[in-house]
Amino acid sequence: MPSLVAAAFEAPYLDYAALAPEIVLTGVLLAVLVVDLFVDEDRKAVVAQLAGVGLLASLLPVVFLAVDGDDRSMFSGAYVVDDFALVFKALFLVSGYVVLLMSTDHIEEGDYWKGEYSFLLLSSLLGMVVMSSARDLLTIFVALELLSIPAYMLAGWRKRDLRSNEAALKYYLLGVLSSAVMLYGMSLVFGATGTTVLEDIARELGGDASEPLVALGIFFIVVGFAFKVSAVPFHFWAPDTYEGAPLPVTAFLSVASKAAGFVALLELIFMGFFGQDNVWQPLFWVLAVLTMTVGNLVALRQTNIVRLLAYSSVAQAGYMLVPFAVGGSSDEAAGTAQTAVIVYLLIYAAMNLGAFAIVMTVARRTRSGEISSYGGLFTYAPGLTVLMTIFVFSLAGIPPFGGWFAKFYIFKSAVDAGTGWALALAVVAGVNSVIALFYYAGVAREMWMQPVPGDDRTPIRVPPALGAALGITAVAVMAIGVYPQAFARLGDLAQLAVR
Amino acid sequence: MKALTTLIAMSGFLREYLTVLVFGAAAVAMVGAMLGAGSLLRPKRAQLQKYISYESGVDPVGTGWSQSQIRYYLFGLLFVMFEVETVFIFPWAVRLEDLGLFGLVEMVVFIAILALGLLYAWRKGVLRWM
Amino acid sequence: MYLNQFLFLAAFLFCVGVYGVLARKNAVLVLMSIELILNAVNINLVAFGLFRESVAGQVFALFVIAVAAAEVGVGLAIVILIYRNRHSIDLTEVDMMKG
Repeated sequence: MPSLVAAAFEAPYLDYAALAPEIVLTGVLLAVLVVDLFVDEDRKAVVAQLAGVGLLASLLPVVFLAVDGDDRSMFSGAYVVDDFALVFKALFLVSGYVVLLMSTDHIEEGDYWKGEYSFLLLSSLLGMVVMSSARDLLTIFVALELLSIPAYMLAGWRKRDLRSNEAALKYYLLGVLSSAVMLYGMSLVFGATGTTVLEDIARELGGDASEPLVALGIFFIVVGFAFKVSAVPFHFWAPDTYEGAPLPVTAFLSVASKAAGFVALLELIFMGFFGQDNVWQPLFWVLAVLTMTVGNLVALRQTNIVRLLAYSSVAQAGYMLVPFAVGGSSDEAAGTAQTAVIVYLLIYAAMNLGAFAIVMTVARRTRSGEISSYGGLFTYAPGLTVLMTIFVFSLAGIPPFGGWFAKFYIFKSAVDAGTGWALALAVVAGVNSVIALFYYAGVAREMWMQPVPGDDRTPIRVPPALGAALGITAVAVMAIGVYPQAFARLGDLAQLAVR
Repeated sequence: MKALTTLIAMSGFLREYLTVLVFGAAAVAMVGAMLGAGSLLRPKRAQLQKYISYESGVDPVGTGWSQSQIRYYLFGLLFVMFEVETVFIFPWAVRLEDLGLFGLVEMVVFIAILALGLLYAWRKGVLRWM
Repeated sequence: MYLNQFLFLAAFLFCVGVYGVLARKNAVLVLMSIELILNAVNINLVAFGLFRESVAGQVFALFVIAVAAAEVGVGLAIVILIYRNRHSIDLTEVDMMKG
């Protein structure tokens, strides 16, 4: 029997500066839990404020670490704080803050469990922040569960609403199944390499032809994450969950949770399995084509704005899968592919959160999710209409808004790769962008040109928190449109070192 | 050659299981002998009450399938959560001296966070039987 | 080593679990099928850990056990919520919205 008893214990090196964002966030979420227990029912707003201040406080160490600029590695390479990690930590914390702003009025008016809501949102964010630094199968798994389990509960937050129940159940069952399948893949990869650290896995696997064990392991892991990022054919939970869950939670799931899935995929594919591109490249090719096409075609037929945004976010995930399908041929291709995904994720977060913030604002008055209820929005809410137009055109990828720039990078990665398969994929993505234009423009046409339903022109009151969320996202989308170079620089900086 | 060594290794593996098999057979034989002897020796007087399943002296009510109180679920859940967390405490406990102060501090942090969970359950009235 | 015996057991459990998830209509039975998959993972991890002489496999298995308990806790809570609202946990009836 081999001996499994370790040699004398040596305390691992803990870089507390590098861990500061996580430590602050953990402290804040525990404080939120305790404060909520001892605060009277009518002063619960304090809890949400504490959570918001705490989120901004944990953003501070991220900024300091970025200024400092050193790469810090712990636990023999399992936990790394580099530019990639910092960019995504910042993205998750900021989008978490925006979601918190969006939730303030929604949760208060619904008489929900306010303290627990903030606590679970922060827990999920902690999982995402950990995910950005995870460079190890076990850490990725724990981070994924930490971000998913609170999200299951948040999806079912309206306890008496059957739709919310259904949203939670579907999300939960498919989420748990996908992480079980992913774990089975991880166990096979661990068996083939004898290590869980991605760097060592890459070294063990090398660029050799894949063993069946490794190929199967990678296949299961990619399928598991395909569920998380709602790629077709593993997307069917997404529209139902998005429609049934409370709106701020839907925004959170479609942006932050999806981004976390892509972060994990970037780490696994470009750090761990890069040499095995003959396994994952075809897989991502099929996933990307199906996801873009099905997402866009089904979105064409939607009459409910939330379901439209749900299918549009499925299609957007398809665009983000394109660089994965072309990034395996060389180190340069991998670099371009990573930049494309990172830039797309940053821009997508801003424009999608913005679109959901508008939907929430309008739904406060119309109490309806139908696209027809947006008829003539311009005549009584011109500001909101202009913002929504910017967001949907940005999602459609029309210049000069941020989304155009994101799409440009996707195409660039495919064209730079230059293979026949990559060019074919670029053509599919191009056709899909044109299809997408129809339904995005349909929303704009409804707002600008259609008559007001019921001729009810009372102006829409925008609560301050929701207004702040709208402001942040709008400024982000505009800034990206005007200064795209700054964002490209960010995407270049944040590339993971391939092998 | 490889197949042969595998076979030998297999037989070693199976031999270990033979012990288990013999042990199991002995156990079955012993219990069977005792129960058999008992049924031969004891007097048989059939009464209806003797066929009712034993439930600590109380007459059983209803069928075998009955729904348990929803409150048991909360206790069960709480129990499972805290019990499962001990899988992280056991490895620390068996190597307590090796891990030293570092291990102690980490474990105190871990247990403190768990204790907050218990505090939450207590404040929410989960621990009180209503 | 007799690694493949463990792997076959794990693969069998995995297949039974996936079949259960796809074929069962009762939410609790689906949860139990998912547990089977997770146990297949644990068997794999421990067997590979022994085979590779790496303690990481066992550590990974411990984490899987703990996280699975948390998952099941949340899952049962959701199932109970649905049972309270509609007095049934038949998954085919939970279809107000069609994907």
